Amino acid sequence: MDKLLRNKKAIFVFMAPAFILFTFILFIPICQSVYYSFCDYNALTPAKFIGLENYKTLLSDKVLIIALKNSIFFLIFSCVTQLIMGLFLAALLTNIDKGRNLFKNIIYLPCVLSSAALGLLWMFIFSPKLGINQLLIKFGIEGPLWLMDTSGYIILPMWVIAFVALWQYVGQSMMLYMAQISGISKSLYEASYIDGCNKAKSFRYITLPLIRPMVATAMSLNAIGSLKFFDLIFNMTEGGPNHKTEVLATHLYQQGFKYFKYGYASAIGVLLLILCLLVTAFINKVIKTEQYEM
Amino acid sequence: MKKTSPITIIIYIFLVFMAVLYLAPLFWVFNVSFKTNAEIFTAPFALPKAPTIDNFTFAWTAGKLGIATLNSFLVCVITLILSMVIGSMAAFGIARLRWKLAKLSLTYFLLGMMIPVHCVLIPLFTRFAKVSLTNSLVGLVLPYLTFALPITIFIMVGFFESMPNELIESACIDGATIYQIFFKVCLPLGKTGLFVTGLMTFIANWNELLLAMVFISDDLKKTLPVSLSKFVGPYNTNYSQMFAAIIIAIIPTIIVYCAFSNQIVDGLTAGAVKG
Repeated sequence: MDKLLRNKKAIFVFMAPAFILFTFILFIPICQSVYYSFCDYNALTPAKFIGLENYKTLLSDKVLIIALKNSIFFLIFSCVTQLIMGLFLAALLTNIDKGRNLFKNIIYLPCVLSSAALGLLWMFIFSPKLGINQLLIKFGIEGPLWLMDTSGYIILPMWVIAFVALWQYVGQSMMLYMAQISGISKSLYEASYIDGCNKAKSFRYITLPLIRPMVATAMSLNAIGSLKFFDLIFNMTEGGPNHKTEVLATHLYQQGFKYFKYGYASAIGVLLLILCLLVTAFINKVIKTEQYEM
Repeated sequence: MKKTSPITIIIYIFLVFMAVLYLAPLFWVFNVSFKTNAEIFTAPFALPKAPTIDNFTFAWTAGKLGIATLNSFLVCVITLILSMVIGSMAAFGIARLRWKLAKLSLTYFLLGMMIPVHCVLIPLFTRFAKVSLTNSLVGLVLPYLTFALPITIFIMVGFFESMPNELIESACIDGATIYQIFFKVCLPLGKTGLFVTGLMTFIANWNELLLAMVFISDDLKKTLPVSLSKFVGPYNTNYSQMFAAIIIAIIPTIIVYCAFSNQIVDGLTAGAVKG
C-alpha cells in the first residue's frame, strides 16, 4: 500500500491540474502585477520600466486619497458594526426556541444574492423620485438626497452604502458566531448559573472568551471583503457624485479599464494587496487565539 | 408549561422588525415589477391594479437577460464540475498520498484565499486578450475555477483526512489502483463535502461582476450581473422593466437558497474555520 501511495506518477496526475492553474492564473499574474506597477504601461504602448513613478503619482492623486479614505472608513465601519450586530443577533437567536431557523435564514438570505442586483435595488429605494423619500413625504418630511449629498467629512452616500453593506453581509458574521456559540457545552452555562451568574454575566464570562477565535476569523473575512468592495458601489453610485464615493476597487477599475492606465492601476492593485495582508495580520495578532477545551 | 417572559417577547418583536427590514425591499421590487411604468409614480406602494408580465418579457428578450442567464448558467455549471474534480483530486493528493511537499503545497493553495481578484485583473486581461480568451466564456471559466480551488481543496482535505485508513488498505488488498481508490471509494464517500463546496462555488460565480465586466464586452457573451448592470442604469427611464430585470437576476439564487439553505450554512462555517 505504501508503494501505491508513494507512486510519483499518481502524485503528479493528482496534483498537476490544480497546480498548473494556480501558478498560471494566480501566482504568475501577481508577480506580473507587481512588475507592471513599476512600469509605464497602457493599452497602446508596451510596458516600460520607470521605477517608483506610479507610486509617486499615487501620493498626489486626489481621487486616490478619497478612495483610500472611503475604503478605510468601510473597513472600520464594517468590522465594528458587523462584530456588534453579528454577535447581538447570534446571541438573540441562540436564546430563542421557536423560529430560530426561520429568522436565521431570512437574515442570511442577502449574502447569497447578487450584490450587483441588490445595489441596483437599493439605488432605487434611495432615489429621490421613488422609494423612501416618497414614503417620507406622506408623513410630511422631505428626505435628504441620500446618494447625492456631498457635505461633511464622511459624506451621506458613504453612510448609506455602508448601511446597505451591513444589511447584506451581517448574516455571514451572525452565522459564524452562531456556529461557534452552539458548539459551547451546555454544562458550562449550567455550572455558571449554579454559581449565581445571570444570562448577561454568563455571556460576558463564558461566551465571549470562547468565541474569540471566531471573532478573529469573521473579522478578517469582513476586513478583506470590505477592502475588495466593488459591486454595491459600482451599481449604487458608480463612484459619483464627482468621485466622492470612490473606493480603491472602483478607482482601480476606472484607471485600468476606462483610461487604460495599466501600470498605474497595477500600483493600486498592489496597494490593495498589501492592505489586505497587513489588516489580516494585524487582526490575528491583536485577537490572540487561545485554545480552550469546550 | 413555561411562561414566556417579557424579555422573550421583546426579542421576538425585534426579530420580526429585522425580518421586515430584510424582506420588505425584496417584496417591494417584486410588487413594482408587475406594474406599468406610470403606476410606479402615481402609487409606488400599492398593489398593482392590473398585474402585467410585459416587463419580464421585455427584460428577458430586448434587455438580453435571457441569453445572459444562459451564459451564466453555462459558466457556473462548467466551473462547478471542473472545480469539484480538480479540487478534490488535489485534496486527495495532499491528504492521502505520501510525498514530502504535501503540507507546503496546501499552504500554497490556501494563500489563494487571501488574494483579491483585483490584483490579477490587469495581467490576466492583457494576457487573455493576446490569446483571444477575452470575450469568450472559457476565459471566464479559467479564473473562476482557479479562485474556487482554495476553498474546495481546504474543505475536501478535511474530508479525506477524516476517512479511516482501513478503507484504503482494504481497497488496496483487493487490488484496486490508486485511481480506482479515489474515484470508486473516496470520492463517493466525500460527496456531502463536494455538494457543499459546489453550492458555494456556484453562488459565488453566479454573482461575480468585476471579472465578467472586464473580460466580456460582446452582448451575446455577457453574464447575468453584467447584463443587468448595463440594462439597469441612470439612462434607462422605464423603471418597471428594470425592476423586472432585478427579479430575474435574483430569483434563481433565492430558489437554490430555499432548497439548500442548511448545506449552504454548513459550507460557510466549514470554510471559515481555518486549520
